[in-house]
Amino acid sequence: MTNLRTLLAALCLCAVGLLPVPSFAATELVLWHAYRAEEKAALEKVVAEYNKANEAKGVKVTTLAVPYDAYADKISATVPRGKGPDLFIFAQDRLGGWIEAGNTVEPIDFFLDDATKKRFIPTTMDAMVYRGTTYGLPLNYKVITLIYNKKLVPTPPKTSGELVTMAKKLSDAKAGRFGLAYAYGDFYYHAAVMNGFGGGVFDAKTTPTMNSPANVKSVEQVLKWKKDGILPAEPSSALITSLFNEGKAAMVFSGPWFVGEVAKGVDYGFARLPTLDENKGTPMKPWMTVEGVYVAAPSKNKEAAYDFAKFLTDVGAGKTLALEGRQSPANNAVYADPKVTADPLLKAMKDQVDVAIPMPNVPEMSMVWTPATSAMNSVLKNTATPKAALDVAQKSVAKDVAGLRTKK
Amino acid sequence: MALFSERREGISHVPLHVVLVAFTLFTIYPILWVVSLAFSGKQSLAIATLPENPTFWDRLRAVTPWPEQFSVSNFASVMTDQPFAKWMLNSAIISIGTTVVGVFLACTAAYAFSRFKFPGQRTGMMAFLVSQMFPGTLMLIPLYIILVQWLGLGSSRLGLIIVYATTSIPFSVWMLKGYFDTIPRDLEEAALIEGASVGRIFWSVILPLAKPAVAVTALFSFMTAWNEFILAATFMDQETMYTAPVGLRFFVGGFSQQWGYFAAGSIIVSVPVVFLFLFLQKYLVSGLTAGGVKG
Amino acid sequence: MSQNAPQQSPSAAGTVRASPNHDATAPSDPGPSGRSGGGNWGRVLVGLALALGLSLLLAHGLLVRAQADRGAERAQRKSVVALLGLTDLVQRAGGTGDAVGAVVAGWPRPQGGAARVIAFSGIKLEASTFPEDTGDKAAPRRLSREEKPLYDRGQRLRAAVETNSEEGGARKSEVESETLPSGGRLLSAPVQVDGQVVGSVEWFTPVLTEADPISWGPALLAFLLPLAACAGAVFALSRQGARVAVAAVLFAAGLGGYTVYSLRTLDAELRETEEAVSAELRTRGETAQKLMAAHGLDAEPALKPGAWDADAMRRPLGQLTDAGVPDAGKLAERGARVRGDAGKALGALGVLGLAVLLFIGMGALHRTVATAVEFRQAYAYVAPAMVGMVLLVFFPFAYGITLSFTDANLYNSSQPLSELWIGLKNYTDILGDFSFAKTAADGSLVFNYLNFYYTLLFTILWTVTNVTIGVTVGLLLALALNVPNLRLRPIYRVLLILPWAMPNYITALIWKGMFHQQFGVVNHVIRMFGGEGLAWFDSPLTAFFTALATNGWLSFPFMMVVSLGALQSIPGELYEAARVDGANRWQQFTAITLPALKPALVPAIILSVVWTFNMFNIIFLVTGGDPGGSTEILVTQAYKFAFERYRHGYAAAYSTVIFGILLIYSMVQNRMSRATEAA
Repeated sequence: MTNLRTLLAALCLCAVGLLPVPSFAATELVLWHAYRAEEKAALEKVVAEYNKANEAKGVKVTTLAVPYDAYADKISATVPRGKGPDLFIFAQDRLGGWIEAGNTVEPIDFFLDDATKKRFIPTTMDAMVYRGTTYGLPLNYKVITLIYNKKLVPTPPKTSGELVTMAKKLSDAKAGRFGLAYAYGDFYYHAAVMNGFGGGVFDAKTTPTMNSPANVKSVEQVLKWKKDGILPAEPSSALITSLFNEGKAAMVFSGPWFVGEVAKGVDYGFARLPTLDENKGTPMKPWMTVEGVYVAAPSKNKEAAYDFAKFLTDVGAGKTLALEGRQSPANNAVYADPKVTADPLLKAMKDQVDVAIPMPNVPEMSMVWTPATSAMNSVLKNTATPKAALDVAQKSVAKDVAGLRTKK
Repeated sequence: MALFSERREGISHVPLHVVLVAFTLFTIYPILWVVSLAFSGKQSLAIATLPENPTFWDRLRAVTPWPEQFSVSNFASVMTDQPFAKWMLNSAIISIGTTVVGVFLACTAAYAFSRFKFPGQRTGMMAFLVSQMFPGTLMLIPLYIILVQWLGLGSSRLGLIIVYATTSIPFSVWMLKGYFDTIPRDLEEAALIEGASVGRIFWSVILPLAKPAVAVTALFSFMTAWNEFILAATFMDQETMYTAPVGLRFFVGGFSQQWGYFAAGSIIVSVPVVFLFLFLQKYLVSGLTAGGVKG
Repeated sequence: MSQNAPQQSPSAAGTVRASPNHDATAPSDPGPSGRSGGGNWGRVLVGLALALGLSLLLAHGLLVRAQADRGAERAQRKSVVALLGLTDLVQRAGGTGDAVGAVVAGWPRPQGGAARVIAFSGIKLEASTFPEDTGDKAAPRRLSREEKPLYDRGQRLRAAVETNSEEGGARKSEVESETLPSGGRLLSAPVQVDGQVVGSVEWFTPVLTEADPISWGPALLAFLLPLAACAGAVFALSRQGARVAVAAVLFAAGLGGYTVYSLRTLDAELRETEEAVSAELRTRGETAQKLMAAHGLDAEPALKPGAWDADAMRRPLGQLTDAGVPDAGKLAERGARVRGDAGKALGALGVLGLAVLLFIGMGALHRTVATAVEFRQAYAYVAPAMVGMVLLVFFPFAYGITLSFTDANLYNSSQPLSELWIGLKNYTDILGDFSFAKTAADGSLVFNYLNFYYTLLFTILWTVTNVTIGVTVGLLLALALNVPNLRLRPIYRVLLILPWAMPNYITALIWKGMFHQQFGVVNHVIRMFGGEGLAWFDSPLTAFFTALATNGWLSFPFMMVVSLGALQSIPGELYEAARVDGANRWQQFTAITLPALKPALVPAIILSVVWTFNMFNIIFLVTGGDPGGSTEILVTQAYKFAFERYRHGYAAAYSTVIFGILLIYSMVQNRMSRATEAA
């Protein structure tokens, strides 16, 4: 009978915890995000400021942090069924998918006035637009740029010609030294060169253009750099970090996430990615990811939610998020603050973003990665020519896109 | 028992011990590694930093699961920077609830499958087995619709308990049915003659005898609930309602990875399960095997 | 699987027989007694009444539905004609300006109906005849904040028009219609000027009840006549079979009669609809001509009212001729289609009704109820678990299988599944694609990692290697730990069980960390002995190895525990006896140990095969399918199809195939193990 008693005790213990938590009925706005540590703290600080200022109006914003791994699925499951938040923060890559799925993201053109539109870096605003309609306010962006070891590179190169000459001098494959290191096999990084040559993965009608002449040229360019011996053979991100930290890579192309991995004592600087002499001096244009604040379509307080989104993307909040959260706000005016521009990373991001282009936000984008990565791999391992490899990728992406658009 | 009985007092077991010790070390190495990361007070994956030109001994140092300096700061941060204790409590409530509900349902069903003969018996057992075979990864949205939209159990522990309990039922039923089959029926018949009801027999004769199998199924049900992440993260809409695995995933994923916190959190999360295993070990061996014999 | 030994079943039956209800059900035990004449005329009548009643009720319901649909279609088409006609005029007026207001005011409206025009530029209400838009809210004016949905709807239409023209298809509705909470219907269409969508026109009509109610008379007649006839026949005939046959014939006659009636009603309704729409079209066309002349609107291109009778993509339906009169050929075609559909539905009803009739008439219902009552205790014990399983496992499972026959994807998730039905296409796409590998220019084999058969082969390889490792290591350890008088045994056992106790997502991430190229322990060890660290996740083979190591480490404790238990249950005397007979250790192992292990190991292996086959966490967290999807197993691939390529139907078909494979596997395994048992 003892186990009966244990069972009963366990049952009671459960019952205590089972009662659903009552929800509040006032104009409470719920904001979901996937931030941690200082980013989370900065966001919460901004939210607290807003709540204090709007106490009289009875508006209160609460935040919920969701683990990144579950975040997208959680939004897809909850928001269309009216059980989600009033606002959420997410990068633009899933935006198109949610819009197509419907009842997830609220269009905000109606609220959006020109003054608000103008306060953002134009390209970050573009990332929030899907098929001619604006769906969110850009909060911050991430972009790759040139990071160099100041000891080895006194002045960073401005053109690809300079880059190659400089890198050749600094490279010594036998000693494991390289002038330049970046994850060129990773399509996200390669996109900087690809876009620089005027290529891209989709045309204006979202038809895949994986094997466009410009894309082929861009891959050939990387192959040439590799043959010049200025790039390491198997560029995994871990290898690049260790090369840079050991002073064996003079320059890398990477984003803000790289900075956290640089060892103490390495004196590094930032510069804009060089222009491409091979393509009449056009700049390399990396893809940027823009995190936007979206109003959830089923929200009951859309106007209040939009008002908060506006506050969150305003200068004041932007400064807090930049200085305390280490983000690069999409709000232009933030960079007028000398404290922000004093931060070399923030300054470098701002400098690079002018030539960056937003990564496509169409749902078809998710079909690009696997074929594109395979194509890069087969080119770099010399199992296919750039043209042939990209032809294969084109076929695969086109097939997936067609599969999505099958008509009856 | 008499096998190899000519070897007394383990002297000739030395080679065996060598092999076993080596293998055990290999087995627990990843765990030791986690422990040393957790106590290192740092967030890096590396236990020790390597000098410019590392020697053999430097490298050996780098793979020795012993932190350069001991610090409990990772544990302190994990417990204080977020409501980790609350999440552990949620996990405990949900897991215990799952165990109770799951084992209860599985016991009754398994008993019927074992002791009664009825039309649909075979089909029923097959249905339980078959349910293990459909990949669960695509079930998220249908489950969400049923549980949150139809039953209104979003952001409640009860909702998760129901889902976890049902997922653990098939294995438990097979397990328990096999074990019940091995229990001789004479006992029940005797009780029956004395006028006891079927329910009473089940409760006071069969269940006590089936303790090992019940313990094993309880353990499985508990682990199902204790380790699940994606449903918990999706169903719960308040930070105070998260479970421990959800909390743990904050440390890895996205752009930055805090291995030290993750390791510390992992240890905190694993300890209860490990203790449960140790506690139930004596049942584990007999329960699993006997259940399997008749499966 | 084999049932308990026969000698035990009497006692099992005894448990059941002890229930009091058994005696009550025994006398009326169905089967032979049902057929032996006399008492069962009631069953036939009840069966016929139920079958006929049920199918006529459904048939009547269907007819009412069809009638209502037809009414709704008529209202909808008339509204669309009005909407698109107005849109045509607004477009000719340039989408903005006074002429638009005049056209909107002059366009005839039904009682309580209204129209408005929205212009995107300046977010304006251009013209409106809605009663609330008067006084200081009169058009033109800027839309107020509460009117955001109007603007958003217009933008949605614009996006739809652009999407359709970009993709050269018709994916998104260019005419939206919705039922308002007040009951009326609101339709909206885009205003296209010079190829650009510059605004939208909205057309509101209050509820229209155009369908005539259908009387119950015919249905009642079709019910009572056969029943009366059957009552007579039942008493005249004595054989149950003959009675049932007569009832079946009467059932068919009743339902058939009603079918004829339904089809005729539908046909008449159809013709009426076409005529009503045609009349609407002609009046509207004339009005439009007048309005165009009155307001000096652009007469080029010529007005084509026939195009106003269009579907949601603004494609003319073609039911009417250009002159706006019903096209006899098209009408007949459509009538035939409608009749065919109705016939199919009623045919299905007939089958259903007959089944009910036979079920009841032949006594099967009686038997079913009797069984349920007889074994109610067993069912009561199983029910709670079953209810949970049905609701949370089998229901989603059935939904998944249904989904697998559709083309459900991100773009059409709001449409009902019946409209996306594509039959077996997903399956033929998955199973019929044999582009498994091809030879590259240099003669090496290049695998197509996205191909189903590659993934299947990889999954099998993954499962077989894992289970082999798990069983071998587990068994060896169990044998080692089972050595008598082994010291420290409990400590070994505790430590060796630890991997099982750790949550597997933690384990997966730890192992991924250990294979980290720069900081990972594995590479440190390799470098310790002078090797080069490997980029583990860059080649399929090494990536596979990482996942294998992780899962092998995870899975051996389970096998060890199972084997250990089985080993301990072997009586020591067996070995003693064998040794007396002169068997060596290997012979003892094969003759005693292995056979004793088998009953415990076989189910454990079956389970672990199923688990490993679907081991999502390890692959997803350790390799993530890298490089290039080469280490993807079937479940992770299905996941990617659903969440990366957004093809939910295809992913569901993938899952169903996985399920099928496992089901076949377990059946084969079952048969094999039974065969060996018998041998």
